[in-house]
Amino acid sequence: MASLQQRLDDFKRSFESGAPPYNAPRQVIETMHRATAELKASGIEDRALKAGDRAPTFALFNQDHMLVALADLLPQGPLVASFFRGHW
Amino acid sequence: MELEALQEIHGEVRALGAQIVVITPELERYTRALHKKLSLTFDILTDLHLKTAEEFRLVFTLPDYLRELYKSFGSTLDRFHDESEYRLPIPARYVIDKTGIIRASEVNADYTIRPEPSETLRQLRLVVNTAAA
Repeated sequence: MASLQQRLDDFKRSFESGAPPYNAPRQVIETMHRATAELKASGIEDRALKAGDRAPTFALFNQDHMLVALADLLPQGPLVASFFRGHW
Repeated sequence: MELEALQEIHGEVRALGAQIVVITPELERYTRALHKKLSLTFDILTDLHLKTAEEFRLVFTLPDYLRELYKSFGSTLDRFHDESEYRLPIPARYVIDKTGIIRASEVNADYTIRPEPSETLRQLRLVVNTAAA
């Protein structure tokens, strides 16, 4: 199985080639690159919480509308928490 | 792709006594459909209006020119997130130990780069082994 990053890179290459099925115009690709560069330059990566910080508590609804709280999860063991921008 | 990759390691994560949660600004009606479609065995949590992402300091606002571009693709975040300001979290993955301390973090402002699940597993093993020692 290819690594996640390999799979993402393959997709990116296909998208940025401008070829079907995405047919992405050059201008669109450049706009996306510009936005990513600006976001990097904003310093957001350095401001984000990192190793050594205390995780903020949360209580959020899952896909079945059940409330899931960090305080209930942690006693069971360590937690991998992945932030995901969405499926779109 | 990232959720499928996390699903692939979920068995090993559980075997280590740990859990996975995915945190997203998407509304529950979308997380429910996505969860079902990908047959996920971990929870997707809806972080309404990015309150939790804000506390982890991961939130940015899409510039106007990108907002217009996404709209032209049909991706309207006010629909998916109830988020009229077009804010998003940057991709980030954390390993949090039982005491609530972040032990590893992978954060990247370039959304085309995601942390490798095998690396997350390695970090998790370190946390589990340290706790046992």
